[in-house]
Amino acid sequence: MGAVIKNIEYVFPNNRVSNEDLSEIFPDYDFSKFEEKIGIAARYWVSKEETAFDLAKRACEKLLKNVSLHSIDFLLYCTQSPDYFLPTTACILQHELGLNKNIGALDFNLGCSGFTYGVSLAKSLINSGQARNVLLVTAETYSKYLHPKDHSNRAIFGDAAAATLISFSEEEHIGNFLFGTDGGGYDKLIIRNGAAKHPYQADAQEKQYGSNNFYTENHLYMDGPEIFKFTSDNIPDFVKKILNVERKEIENVNQFIFHQANAFMLDFMRRKLNINKDNFYINLKEGGNTVSCTIPIALKEYSKQIDEEQTILLVGFGVGLSWSGGLIKLKYTL
Amino acid sequence: MNRLTFISKLKDTLELEENLSGNTNFKELDEWDSMTGMMLMGFVDNEFGVSLNTADLEALTTIDSLIERIGTDKFEE
Repeated sequence: MGAVIKNIEYVFPNNRVSNEDLSEIFPDYDFSKFEEKIGIAARYWVSKEETAFDLAKRACEKLLKNVSLHSIDFLLYCTQSPDYFLPTTACILQHELGLNKNIGALDFNLGCSGFTYGVSLAKSLINSGQARNVLLVTAETYSKYLHPKDHSNRAIFGDAAAATLISFSEEEHIGNFLFGTDGGGYDKLIIRNGAAKHPYQADAQEKQYGSNNFYTENHLYMDGPEIFKFTSDNIPDFVKKILNVERKEIENVNQFIFHQANAFMLDFMRRKLNINKDNFYINLKEGGNTVSCTIPIALKEYSKQIDEEQTILLVGFGVGLSWSGGLIKLKYTL
Repeated sequence: MNRLTFISKLKDTLELEENLSGNTNFKELDEWDSMTGMMLMGFVDNEFGVSLNTADLEALTTIDSLIERIGTDKFEE
């Protein structure tokens, strides 16, 4: 007995922002080099009135075209862009989608490690007999948190939502997921103001950082070099640990799908692990870094070429600092 | 690796226009930005197994200062 990923659907907001569009706002920054190195050509940002919830709803409606609405018996909603401090966004989504009332629904706050966490939580709910069809939703709108003059993060982050159905299956398709946490790096990727610890400041001071980027403590701050260091110091060994637990070698994995943070960093880790280019997914050209949505988007796109069972290793890592991952088996297009 | 090879590899990896010497200051290069900083971290890690952090990048001045940070014992005469 076990669990399996059955369907994935995702959506971007309508507003597509190309590198050419950004060049007009930031004429001094070389976006062609950015595109070549970081691998992003366009990202999508929500409008002022649109929220992550709106994207989530659209992604779920797309998924529910092929799935019975009343079969869903648990809703997991991963976001760092909730509509409200309270109530739980998942409760509103249950209502808006018309899901059954006798289901569990909760939000969890994780960023780039959120999808892999969600898959593992869904598997546990299914294997413990508490659910049979878990709807895992990741929805993020970091664009709302970015300072208008923070060209680096504006170039990297895009908004999206993904809906994934994880269901009961006679055979297990989801492996032993592993986790990692280092809250010592909590301030490497942070929005300081606006929650309980530090209130939103209308007159927050503008600060300069990195390559001529600006932010205030009301905005998202990312210490890029430290995030790069954390990732390159931890993730390759973490991948080896996953393989070790599963008694697999690099060669036994058909595809490695990491959180699509940036192409340079991904390729750096690929080389560190000696993985062939063909077995390592890098595609964030359209959409950019969509936080907890990059892995389901990548998995859906990659699955289009699957015609027999494949072993895929998923790893998410980022804000927290937090990381998680494991092996899945997939034999069809999602 | 000796210093000359290191400097020439550095120029290629970071795709720098200017000719480099030990006295070249990273921060004065046209190409210097956080992305170049990240590429530098990757390069140093690959070649020497030395993991630089934000403070290292901030303190960085000349190529000689980088060689010192990596450790002069890691370079051939």
